Amino acid sequence: MVTPEQNQYEPIKSVHQVPLEEFYSSGHRTCQGCESALTMRHLAKAAGPRTVVTGSTGCMYVANTSYMTTPWIIPWMHTQLGAAGASALGMSAGLRALMRKGRLAEERINVIAFCGDLGGGDMGLSGISSALQSNYNLLIILYDNESAANTDIQATGLTTYGAQTTFTPPGSAQRIMQRRWKKNVAGMMAVGHPTCRYVATACATYPPMDLMNKVRKALSVGGPAFIHTFCPCPKGWDYHPRYSHEIGELGVRSGIFPLYEVVEGQVRYTYDARKRRIPVREYLTKQGRFAHLVDEDMDHIQQMVDEMWEKWEVPGVAPFKGPLSEA
Amino acid sequence: MIRRIEINYRGVFQKTLARQVASDLVRIAARTGKVGFSNGRYSDAPERNGVPCKYFVFISPDLSEEELEAECGAKLDIDEADISIVLDDTMVKGVEPWAWSGIRPINEKVIEGGFLLVVSNKEVGELMKFIPKKEYPYHLAILPGESSLSGLWVFHDDLTHERVLGAMAGLDPELVSIDAVESYLRERTKDERRVAAAVEGYEWVHHRYKVVSPEEGIDWPHAVPVLPAWTEFREGVAVPAIQRGFRLGPRGQSRSTIFRRGTTKTMRPVIRFDLCRKCTLCWLECPDECFDPTPDGRYDVDYQYCVGCGKCAEVCPVNECIVMVDELRFDDDSSPWEFWNRDPQGYVDWAEEKKGAMRQKPLVVTGAGPVVTAPGQRVPARGVHDMTDQEVSR
Amino acid sequence: MTHTLTATGNAYVSEELLTGCQAVAQGVRLADVDVIAAYPIRPYTEVMDLISKIIADGRLTAEYIIADSEHGQFEIVKHASSVGARAFAGSSGTGWLYGFEALAVTATDRLPVLFLVGNRALDDPGAFGVEHNDALAVRDLGWLLCWVTTPQEALEHVLIGYRVAEDRRVQMPMALAMDGAFLTHSQHIVRIPSVEAARKFLPPYDLGDRRLHPDNPISIAPQVNEDWVMEIRRQNWEAARRAPQVIAEAYREFDAIFGTDYASSPFFTEFMTEDAEVVLVGLGTVAAPARTAVRRLREKGERVGYVGLRWFRPFPTVPLRECLRRFQAVGVIDRDFAHGSPDDGGILLHEIRSCLYPAAERPAVVNFIIGLGGRDISIADCQRMFDLTRQAVGAAGGDGLVRWIGVRE
Repeated sequence: MVTPEQNQYEPIKSVHQVPLEEFYSSGHRTCQGCESALTMRHLAKAAGPRTVVTGSTGCMYVANTSYMTTPWIIPWMHTQLGAAGASALGMSAGLRALMRKGRLAEERINVIAFCGDLGGGDMGLSGISSALQSNYNLLIILYDNESAANTDIQATGLTTYGAQTTFTPPGSAQRIMQRRWKKNVAGMMAVGHPTCRYVATACATYPPMDLMNKVRKALSVGGPAFIHTFCPCPKGWDYHPRYSHEIGELGVRSGIFPLYEVVEGQVRYTYDARKRRIPVREYLTKQGRFAHLVDEDMDHIQQMVDEMWEKWEVPGVAPFKGPLSEA
Repeated sequence: MIRRIEINYRGVFQKTLARQVASDLVRIAARTGKVGFSNGRYSDAPERNGVPCKYFVFISPDLSEEELEAECGAKLDIDEADISIVLDDTMVKGVEPWAWSGIRPINEKVIEGGFLLVVSNKEVGELMKFIPKKEYPYHLAILPGESSLSGLWVFHDDLTHERVLGAMAGLDPELVSIDAVESYLRERTKDERRVAAAVEGYEWVHHRYKVVSPEEGIDWPHAVPVLPAWTEFREGVAVPAIQRGFRLGPRGQSRSTIFRRGTTKTMRPVIRFDLCRKCTLCWLECPDECFDPTPDGRYDVDYQYCVGCGKCAEVCPVNECIVMVDELRFDDDSSPWEFWNRDPQGYVDWAEEKKGAMRQKPLVVTGAGPVVTAPGQRVPARGVHDMTDQEVSR
Repeated sequence: MTHTLTATGNAYVSEELLTGCQAVAQGVRLADVDVIAAYPIRPYTEVMDLISKIIADGRLTAEYIIADSEHGQFEIVKHASSVGARAFAGSSGTGWLYGFEALAVTATDRLPVLFLVGNRALDDPGAFGVEHNDALAVRDLGWLLCWVTTPQEALEHVLIGYRVAEDRRVQMPMALAMDGAFLTHSQHIVRIPSVEAARKFLPPYDLGDRRLHPDNPISIAPQVNEDWVMEIRRQNWEAARRAPQVIAEAYREFDAIFGTDYASSPFFTEFMTEDAEVVLVGLGTVAAPARTAVRRLREKGERVGYVGLRWFRPFPTVPLRECLRRFQAVGVIDRDFAHGSPDDGGILLHEIRSCLYPAAERPAVVNFIIGLGGRDISIADCQRMFDLTRQAVGAAGGDGLVRWIGVRE
């Protein structure tokens, strides 16, 4: 039986194979129904005990740890908002050097750095890019709750078009202040880093176990890996915490958040929204952050989502529009 | 003379409501020649859904604004309150805002002869089951009403705000008179329903009301943690992790011992273990790691850590297996699975009795949809962005 | 050019012609550093040029990372240090400030990384020359901050710096500062210590129970409310207060192994101050023209001397006060400027005036703003500064005078 204790993993084929032990446990000051916290929990569960984690500033820093307490059972350290990539590089380099010099026993220690959408999609991009160019075994997890949730919900480069945030309040002169279309971070990482072994997107709850399996793949590819996770936020998206699973599932099934993995340049869809998509309205109308939208706004979002799946050269991943023409 | 008012509320869900009550008390004070200001407890921010928070109002008829600020403003929490308002009655079980605070009594700050004003549909006796003794007498007043919960962007405008203002006038006319509240609301909102709601609060607040004498109340089971001196903890901002530990069965997963967070919940999941199909989803989907796998393949719940989000009830595929129930129907956090093992039929009877006949499923968008405010009165939900900027909570 | 020495036994094995940057690179090799993060900016960059070659030639086993920015560079070494690896980085001027956030947390995380700061004027406009405002920006953050004046000192202070920074009583990051363009780029013959001697002096880095590793489950730097911050600041202050004793110990040990003489005056050096009436005080390479001026003025019978400050943090308050109070006038040389400050002068001026304040009888203290942006400081300039300082003795309004030297008027 291969064991997570040695960081050799088997895929989790059924919910009954999910490891029972937690390595991120109760005691975090997160919101009721926080899917970012669930992402942390599944991340730690899938990685197992021989792991070190850094977390850049954001909800999963401030809400998770209140001084002299922590939810982490595995070693964890804060890193600066834009430093997820650098922290992963530093830990990997330090561990490798100490093992090469015989000052640490040779073993596979997982190095994981997480960041939110502000730390990963905006400020931290260049550091993450640099980490994905390296030859270390490291995993960067971007948990995306589509806002600077920890400073009370400000728009970021990954906030959905049209969403209300404290930086993008609807007003009498302008109904929509968030006019930027969500950045395609995972696609950017996959396209921009030819030697990066593994890039994936995931949702903690849908399909079940998918995130845990992607984390295990990422930790096993023997190189840098990047996972972008979709994390419904009951506070900032304004829905009752009880429906966190449903919102995540609707986001995936409407195709507004594509689920896929890129392994050695091969794209595999986890949920193929080319074949089946529910109307994006079913997702939008269940969140107070979109309460001010009118039909034409929803039509626009639907059209952008359709384009992503029907017109993109690599649907949901790369926004090039073929066919390629000669110069 | 200073009147100190603290407003205990549920993070995010009641943020706008608490801010509105506080703001209006300050404005009315100003209109009646008093000096006042209000602020939130800084360490509560950023607020988390359901985590207990506080907002403060300080009013004086005779002090200068600077003196009042100096007396009250610099404090991150207050030492005493003339009136503690409680916008959600499940907070009478205690509040634990963050780690190293401990679970604090809801009446902790109420002074001798002061008021504990709770928005609740419960009777005095039902609340007193959870409230600890104090060394001196004070008043418990109940403002009839549901706990009013909103979202961050959608406000549940059910006139609780106006009723609380009226109730304040009912309790402490010196602080704010009902005439002042009425004229203020009439001028500001031009909406007689809001004036009427304030008058309701003014009249209703004395119906369920009692002077609580020192021997009344429970012995508080929770201690306040003592923070160590600078020489007493490790340098280099390194703190011990939660110790690794897992075994099958109740409380078999190691968890933080200094921050339990149970006071975040307004409802708790009641589980019919006999109906469980062992699908694992309640446990797998729990964002707070509060389910404990049991040897029989089921999942016990540790209510000390459950924050009552309701996800487990939502994802459970079996009808009636997991149902969310009002937190005030429970007075201990012991293992339900052990109870069920001891006495299967007794447990099922107990569970059904707790669940009762009513089933309420919350709206997907908290605070949205038409809301009944009083017989015959319906008010649509308002987006926070529809309010004037003073109304909007920041 | 390299040839083996016999005279100094085995503590030093060879001599090489090295710039200040190259000398630091040799120090990094001898300290057996584990992780190095590089990012280019003049004038510190040359240290990374040589370190990369040393690694390429197999003379040092280390992880060498080319970072995406100074912020990334500093965060990389901070986190390498947190898992127990000895780490090195460096920067200059505006690059040092680009990573400023990381510099602040490296200090509060108490991680003993060593940085080379090749002092450089801050933009704008972009200027390559030396100015001390860059390194001095970390003076209040919990850093060890030390200026060296020769490539030999530079090499030796890599070893001394790690020894002090990593000591369990200290565990603070160390900034080794040197004047850009001058010391960073000028070549001198440097005696190279043997690997054995270096190992003997510098024990392996051990972060103990703060090391981030699966066998040591901890959380580092959880979020704090106001209920913990003062205690944490108080702890860090205590570490800074323990540092001077550790520095003195390190110098005694170094002298014993290498036959140097640091311990007799660990924090600053005095030149011909015995019977001096007037002295100049400065940081870094200004020592050369200043000491030369001292010699020449002494030939004319003037009782002058020079005090070269080596350690700026921790500031050697008591010994420096005891030293300076003996004189009639002290001229403080600042290769920096503190805009809008109380004395409307340089940063060093403020520190020294404050240091002297408790003295019963204080010398007149005057301030010279000179050499900004890398402008030369000549022997003549130094002689002029001695004259101006002497004029302050007993003169009304002499004390506190601030003069800009060498600015076109």
